[in-house]
Amino acid sequence: MSEERKKLLELKKLKKYFPVRRGVSIKAVEDVTFSIYEGEKFGVVGESGCGKSTLGRVILQLYPQTSGACIYYGRTKDEMSPKYQAKEVAKLLEYQKKAQEFYQKSLEIDRKAEAIRGQVDALSALGTDREVKKNTSLQKKLSELEFQSKELRKDASRQLREGSRTVGSLILCKDLPKVQDLFRQAQKETEAAAAATRRFRELEKQYEESRLAGRNDDGLKAKMDTAKSEADSHVEAARALRQKAFQDYRGKDILPITERTLDPAYQAKLDGNYETGINLGKLTREEMREMRREMQMIFQDPAASLDPRQSVGKSIEEVFVINTDFPPAVRREKTMDLLEKVGLKREHYWSYPNALSGGQKQRVGIARAIALDTKFVVLDESVSALDVSVQAQILQLLNELSAEKHLTYFFITHDLGVVKHFCDRILVMYLGNVCELADSKELFHNPLHPYTESLLAAVPRLKIGQEHSTESVLEGDVPSAMNPPKGCPFHTRCSKCMEICGQEKPPIVEREPGHFVACHLYDNK
Amino acid sequence: MGKKVLEVKDLVTTFRIDKKEYEVLRGVSFDIEENETLCMVGESGCGKSVTTLSIMDLLPNNGRVVSGSIKLNGQELTTMSSKERAALRGKQMGMIFQEPMTALNPLLTIGRQMTEGLVLHQGMSKQEAYDTAVNYLEKVGIANPEDRMKQYPFQLSGGLRQRIMIAMVMAVQPSLLIADEPTTALDVTIQKQVLVLLNKLKKDVSTGILFITHDLGVVAEIADRVVILYSGRKVEEGSIEAIFSKPLHPYTVGLMKAVPNVDEDDFDIQPIPGTFPNITEEIGGCRFHPRCPYATDRCRAEVPAEIEVEPGHLVSCHKVAEEYPGKEVRK
Repeated sequence: MSEERKKLLELKKLKKYFPVRRGVSIKAVEDVTFSIYEGEKFGVVGESGCGKSTLGRVILQLYPQTSGACIYYGRTKDEMSPKYQAKEVAKLLEYQKKAQEFYQKSLEIDRKAEAIRGQVDALSALGTDREVKKNTSLQKKLSELEFQSKELRKDASRQLREGSRTVGSLILCKDLPKVQDLFRQAQKETEAAAAATRRFRELEKQYEESRLAGRNDDGLKAKMDTAKSEADSHVEAARALRQKAFQDYRGKDILPITERTLDPAYQAKLDGNYETGINLGKLTREEMREMRREMQMIFQDPAASLDPRQSVGKSIEEVFVINTDFPPAVRREKTMDLLEKVGLKREHYWSYPNALSGGQKQRVGIARAIALDTKFVVLDESVSALDVSVQAQILQLLNELSAEKHLTYFFITHDLGVVKHFCDRILVMYLGNVCELADSKELFHNPLHPYTESLLAAVPRLKIGQEHSTESVLEGDVPSAMNPPKGCPFHTRCSKCMEICGQEKPPIVEREPGHFVACHLYDNK
Repeated sequence: MGKKVLEVKDLVTTFRIDKKEYEVLRGVSFDIEENETLCMVGESGCGKSVTTLSIMDLLPNNGRVVSGSIKLNGQELTTMSSKERAALRGKQMGMIFQEPMTALNPLLTIGRQMTEGLVLHQGMSKQEAYDTAVNYLEKVGIANPEDRMKQYPFQLSGGLRQRIMIAMVMAVQPSLLIADEPTTALDVTIQKQVLVLLNKLKKDVSTGILFITHDLGVVAEIADRVVILYSGRKVEEGSIEAIFSKPLHPYTVGLMKAVPNVDEDDFDIQPIPGTFPNITEEIGGCRFHPRCPYATDRCRAEVPAEIEVEPGHLVSCHKVAEEYPGKEVRK
C-alpha cells in the first residue's frame, strides 16, 4: 500500500477466543493483521461463522480482545492522554529488567546445553547398546533445553516489544530513567491539554446556547479560542519533550540486553513499534465510551436496533443527550438536520419505528451513527435485510455521506456483488483467518486464494444462456471453529490442497503490491 | 408443450385488517408445466409468499381467496373442502421453506420425520419407507444416509438441513414443488450446492417447481420462466431469456439495474426511487406509477392490461403497450 495514505486503524495479530468450557474455545478471530486507511471503504467478506462480525465488534471493543492490539490513529495519544500511557511509562524499567533477566537465563541454559552437546559428541563415536540409550536420552534433554532457551529469548524480545510501544528503541538505553522522566513530563503536558479540551467543550456548549438565543457572544468565542490554543500548545510541548528524548538518547549507550540489541536494523524495528495512535484494548471503559463518539456501528436489522416505543426523533436525540451537553433546542435542531441529511423528512421526528419501512428504519440507524463527530463506522450486514431497490438507495446514501463527512467504513457483508461495487479494498476471511486482501477490482480479476476463487464462482450471476459452471462448487461445510483444522484452515475443502497444507499454517505474503494472500501455493515465489 | 401441473387464473386474495378487507393479490395468473421451474420474483410485500400460501391453503385466519381459480393437474382447488386440500398437501404438492431449522421438528430424528410422510401418504410399510428415505437422502447428495437418519436436526448444518427438506419433499414424488426462498438463509457456497442439486433433480423427476426468490442471480441460475410481481399484480412474465435480455416493464428494468453485478467493473448503483407501497395504500391505476420515471396521467387512472409482446412474454404497462401497438391484449 502506498505510504502517503494516512492509517486510521491498525490491527496487529488480533485474536478473539470465546471460551466454551475448560480447555475448549471458539477461535473466532485468529492472528488478524492489517491496516485500514482514512476515508476508505473497507469490505470484509466470508461465510457465516468466518469471524467477520466478531472482528467488527472487537475493533469497537464491544468484545474484549484475547490478544493482539488494535490501534486507532483518528486521534493521537497526545490529544487524548489515555490513562494507560502513564502506567506504561512507569513500567518501562521493569520491561527492560525482565528482558535482561530472561536473556541471561537463556544464556545459562545455552551453557548447560553446550556441556551436554559435548557429551553427546563424545558418545556418538562409540556405539554399545547402553551408550545408544544414554545418547538418545541426552539428545532428548538437549532438545528440551534448546526449546527452553528459545522460549526465554522470545519472552525477552516480547518484553522489549511491549516497552517499545511507548518509547521505541529507547527501551534499550542505559539512560532509560532519564527518558522516563522526559516522558513523564510529556504526560503531564498531555493531561493539561486534555483538561483544556474539556474546558473548550464546556465553552462550546455555552456558545451554542447563546447563539440559539440569538446572541453572538464574542467574549465566549475568544475564550474558546484561548482554550483551543492552550490545548494545542500543551500538545506541542508534549511532542517537543518526546522529540527531545529521541534526539538525546536514540542510539546512544545501548545496553547489550540481547544479542540483537546492537543491530541498527533491530533498533529501527523497535522504533517502528512506537505507537502514536491509541491502543483501544488498553483504554478504560470511560475512555472507550469517549472514543465511541468517533467509532460507530450500524446493524443488520434496523427494526431490532430501534426502540419501538420511542419516536424516531427521540431515538436519534438520545445520542446527543448521552454524549453532549447541548441544550434541548440545539439537540432538536441537530436531529432535524440529521433527518434531512439521511433522506428522511422533518416530520419523521414524531413517527414511531412501526410506521417506517425497512429502508427508512435503516436511515434512522445511519443518522444515529453519524450524529457525532464520527470518523469510523462498522456496518455489519447493514444492507443485507433490505430489498434490492432499497438496498441500492442506502448504498448511494452511504456513498454520499462518506464523501461529505470523510467517513471510513468497515463494511461487513456476504454479498460479493455489493462489496465489489461499494468497497475500495476487500478482505476475505475464512474461519477467523485472513485469506486474501486486495483492492476490490484486483481481487475480482485476479483472485489468488482458492477459497476466494470458489467464493466468486458460487455467486449467482445475472447471466443466462451459458451452462452455469458446477466444477468449482465447494464440497462440504465450514469446519467448526472450536476445533479448526491443523495447518491451513481451508485445506479440508480446498481443491488444490498439498501435503504441506495440512501441517503448516500459510504465512501472509504480499504477492503483488497491495495484494496479500495466505496460501502455500504462493510460498517461495 | 408439456402437461400443465398448475394453472392459476385471476387469483384474488384479501386480508382482513382492522375490519377492512385489503387485496393482497389483485388478479394473478400463471401456469407451470411438468419439468418446469417458474421463478416468482419481487420485493418483500409484493405477494409472493401469499401466492404460495393461497395455493397450499395455508393462509392465516384473516386471509382468504376471494375469486379466481387454482387448478392442480386439472383439479379445481378453490371449491374443495379444507379436508380434501389437506390430503393433497405433502402428497401432490410439497413445500420447502426458507429456514429449514424451523421447518424441521427439533425433537424428532431425521429418520422419523422422513418416513412419516411416506407412511401417511404413500401407505408404505415402515421398512419400505425407511429404504425410500435412505435412497432419497443419497439422491440429494448426503453421505452416510443411514447415520443421518438417526440424527437430530441440531446436529446438522444449514445446508444439510435444506437437503433433507428437499429429500423429504421429493420422496413422495409430488407433481408440484413450492420452494419459498429456499436458499436465502444459506451462504453462497452452500446456496450453490443446493441450486446445483435442484437443477439435477429437475431432470430426474417430472415435478413442476414454483421457486420464490428475490435474488435475480438465483433466478438466472435456476429458472425456465419468470414471473415478476409488484404489489399484488404480475407486471411481467416471460422465458428466462426474454426477461434477462429484453426486460420491458420499467420495474423489471429498475430491478436489473439495482442489483450490483459481480461481472461488471464499472457499475453505478441505480436505485429505484421511492419506497415499496404498503398493501393498505390506495394507489389508482398502475401500482408502480409513483416510482415510475415514465408515469403519465393514463398510468395514474387506468390499470394497464396485459399484452403479449412476443409469444409467452407478457407485460402490463401502458408505455410498453404504446411501443408495441396492435399486439393482442390478453384478458
